[in-house]
Amino acid sequence: MIRNYIKIAWRNLIKNKAISSINIIGLAIGIASCLLIVLFVLDELSYDRFNERKDEVFRVVFRANVNGELIKEAVVMPPVAQTLKQEFPEVVDATRFKRIPSPKVSYEKNNYRNGKFAYVDPNFFDVFTLPIIKGNKVAPLDKPNTIVLTKNEAIKYFGKEDPIGKILLVNDLQFEITAIIDNMPNNSHFHFDMLASMVGYSAAKNTSWMNSGFYTYLVLKKGLDYKSLESKFSAIIEKYMGPQMKEETGMTFAEFTKDNQLGLFLQPLTDIHLNSDFSSASTLEQGGDMKSVYIFCSIALFMLLIACVNFMNLSTASATKRAKEVGVRKVLGSKKSQLIGQFLTEAFFSTAAAMLLAVILIVIMLPFFNNLFDKELQMTYLLEPQIVFTLVSLLIVISLLAGVYPAFYIASFKPIAALKSKFLSTGNKKGVRSGLVVFQFVISAGLILATLIVDKQMTFIQNKDIGYNKKQLLVLRESYFLGPNQTSFKNQILTDPRVERVTSSGHVPAGVTNNSVTGIYVNQKFDRRVNIFYIDDEYIPTMGMKLIEGRNFSNNFGADSLNIIVNETTINKLGYGSNPIGKTMIIGVNDDLKTFKIIGVVKDFHFRSLHQKIEPLIMLNKSSSGLIVRAKGADMSGLITSISKLWNNYQVNEPFTYTLLDDSYNETYMAEQRMGTILKIFAILTIFIACLGLFGLVTFTTEQRFKEIGVRKVLGSTVSQIVLMISEYFIKLVMVSFAIAFPLGYYSMNIWLQDFAYRTKIEWPTFLIAGFITICIAFITISFRSIKAAQTNPIKSLRTE
Amino acid sequence: MIKITDLEKYYKTEELQTIALNKLSFDVKKGEFVAIMGPSGCGKSTLLNILGMLDDSDGGSFIFNGEEVIHYNERKRANIRKHNIGFVFQSFNLIDQLTVFENVELPLIYTGVKKAERKKKVHEVLEKMQIMHRRKHFPQQLSGGQQQRVAVARAVVNNPKLILADEPTGNLDSSNGNEVMDLLTELNKQGTTIIMVTHSEHDAKFSHRIIRMLDGQKVIENSLI
Repeated sequence: MIRNYIKIAWRNLIKNKAISSINIIGLAIGIASCLLIVLFVLDELSYDRFNERKDEVFRVVFRANVNGELIKEAVVMPPVAQTLKQEFPEVVDATRFKRIPSPKVSYEKNNYRNGKFAYVDPNFFDVFTLPIIKGNKVAPLDKPNTIVLTKNEAIKYFGKEDPIGKILLVNDLQFEITAIIDNMPNNSHFHFDMLASMVGYSAAKNTSWMNSGFYTYLVLKKGLDYKSLESKFSAIIEKYMGPQMKEETGMTFAEFTKDNQLGLFLQPLTDIHLNSDFSSASTLEQGGDMKSVYIFCSIALFMLLIACVNFMNLSTASATKRAKEVGVRKVLGSKKSQLIGQFLTEAFFSTAAAMLLAVILIVIMLPFFNNLFDKELQMTYLLEPQIVFTLVSLLIVISLLAGVYPAFYIASFKPIAALKSKFLSTGNKKGVRSGLVVFQFVISAGLILATLIVDKQMTFIQNKDIGYNKKQLLVLRESYFLGPNQTSFKNQILTDPRVERVTSSGHVPAGVTNNSVTGIYVNQKFDRRVNIFYIDDEYIPTMGMKLIEGRNFSNNFGADSLNIIVNETTINKLGYGSNPIGKTMIIGVNDDLKTFKIIGVVKDFHFRSLHQKIEPLIMLNKSSSGLIVRAKGADMSGLITSISKLWNNYQVNEPFTYTLLDDSYNETYMAEQRMGTILKIFAILTIFIACLGLFGLVTFTTEQRFKEIGVRKVLGSTVSQIVLMISEYFIKLVMVSFAIAFPLGYYSMNIWLQDFAYRTKIEWPTFLIAGFITICIAFITISFRSIKAAQTNPIKSLRTE
Repeated sequence: MIKITDLEKYYKTEELQTIALNKLSFDVKKGEFVAIMGPSGCGKSTLLNILGMLDDSDGGSFIFNGEEVIHYNERKRANIRKHNIGFVFQSFNLIDQLTVFENVELPLIYTGVKKAERKKKVHEVLEKMQIMHRRKHFPQQLSGGQQQRVAVARAVVNNPKLILADEPTGNLDSSNGNEVMDLLTELNKQGTTIIMVTHSEHDAKFSHRIIRMLDGQKVIENSLI
């Protein structure tokens, strides 16, 4: 019997090539998209789980609200680790690391600058599971000036030589290599190539509770409720920070916490990747986002559901063609259960084919997908037992989901009616199918709307007046390598006719910023933090910023060293009123408090991403490392080549590096752009699958109304009247889907937009466009089939009687 | 009204070609009632389909109301059809989802008649066919005779000049069949040209003239008046 089922299943697949391939391709796309997303989600959820003590390790983080300003830092003060370990028996162990950005590493005569370096406590390897593969496996970092490298980093410097015992210079300090570890797993929330011992690092011994900078991790007793430990931290802070605060600011801890809050909190290790909201300066690596994991999970589920719905619809549609077969089988004595078995076998057959195709699709798509998500997912993931198990269960579930409905539907035909092809769908079944169409188009229209809104926000970001001119700016951040030659290098650049201006400042208001932060003091009391830029008199004109009051720094005025230029927000936030020029403020500079006079106000410009509101900013007249060049004319690449040649004349043993400010600006919104691309792709795929479903349903309808269409044509109906008659019902369903999709889409996209302090508005034309696109796509799909049906010669349909 | 000359129609399959109409010629005058008879497969239905402009011919000439229509495209033929021709089928071909009223109204919608006038016309014709009381029923709720009366009502509601009837009594018992034949005779008396395909000698006697066909050709013609 099974053999007969399989034979018939195969012949039917071959016979209805078009509908079978639509069916299988649709399902394959659904399964492939779903599996790809599952791979992505599994990877996101796997972060830091390779650690053997993953459930016992917690990161200590700092949160505060000072004068209404929220401070969220993933780093804490140097003594926190040791203090918590001493104070609480629940803390089994505590370890810290401190990262040093782009250090200069030298070996023999070569300099390198792209290694990732951190000082770590000697017990670092007791907390994190990073296997040592060579060298001292017991205590590699117990002595000062020792260092552990990853496998790849060691190869970078030493090739095939044995690195153990060799000396590496990092920022001109000597380190002895004591061990080599495996490369850090991709799914770790930090990646370092070099781990140096904290033993000889003086900053680590600092006992100040007023400065932070150390990533601190605790190992707690197994099964301990970390929230209860967390609640005991406030007493510790008061005990240790209180006296230091009184000494530095003159305020007692109780006075300070009357209007302000601050505290230390614990964050589970496995939460770090997906649930971190800390300041960008203290974020180790761009983490994931629980929100997008949820979004992608729902997209995966929806795609699979839509694909299954289609499978059902298309199978039912093609089933009407087999009514005669069912009739004959029944007349010849087939039982209903046998017919159900037969149709389920066919569903299983098609699902298996779709599954196979899906795996092939994944193999093809994975590199592209990795690129899109910035991941390194491997094909071998698919062979993991969970995935294989998922695939097999999917195969069974989809066969059942997709096969049961058509199987029971077709098998229930009455034999004589089936023989005469006389069967009418009852209103109830029509209701089910209409519901399925509405469901599919809710998702399609919702995704189209979301895509349009993401696009609109991206355009808004591109076109927003950000307060300076980001075009044609070349940033040479590392010009400080030239040391005293920097001035002559700058003057040589200025002689190039393609150069308009050059400023000796590296403060870039986009991308990775090196903004410094300091405090403003009012009546000797700390008031708030402000951002600080060190600039020369050329900075404001070079960047194309506008002074709205007062004057720029000038060489003519002698020492402007105690004068400052501030942005509008500073004036507004600090209440300097309508005439701020000449007023003074006290600012902490290098641990000293100095009084500065305001000589100019610069129009607000965005020096962070549009996610954040513009904050107070103070500009001091002091050159900083780095040069920014404003070019004129189109020959940017020629200019870069010339400057690079100039650079090489100085023989600094450092490669020439540059960035274009425009690129840095765009990089700031990479996550959003990626989100936009992903939404677009899944919107297209979803619509494609939904259209396959609609196509199937229209096929079904036209087959059912075959006679009616014939009669109407005989009575004089034109092709377009029939197309309209068939389309009307489906278009109405699509319209109904808008009623659900648009409020939902509006609600969720509004939440997404809340992440931007500066954002576009969702207005009615966007809904109109989304609706128009959806209806057009639906109508084209419907017409494709209905025109064919309407053009059929009516006598064909009437002859079947 | 109709003049066909050397009309030809073939049906082709991969291997063989069947001749359905073989150089058939005849004409039908305005106001005539013509019955076409012959065994199954002699080409009667094919002929009726071509006369109703539902199908193409493969040769010959077809003049309708003085116009050569043989080369007209689908749109032009549809236009002539909806204004001039009414159809009555053996199996009624009523649309199950529409009520009696809506079924009869359909041709008027397609010829663009205004709503108020449609209602008036449909009521008139339903009265005439004595099925007014059934106007809100669906076809499945009617007897065969009633269904065919609805079909006739639908065929005549547009006042066509020609009615093509394909075995109109084939699915009816004799009393219902006679009713339908009386209806057609009445319509013919009022000036409508009728061409009817039938197997029934009894029904054929209602006509003025019988054309007998065999293998796609006219074999004999008897005038009954």
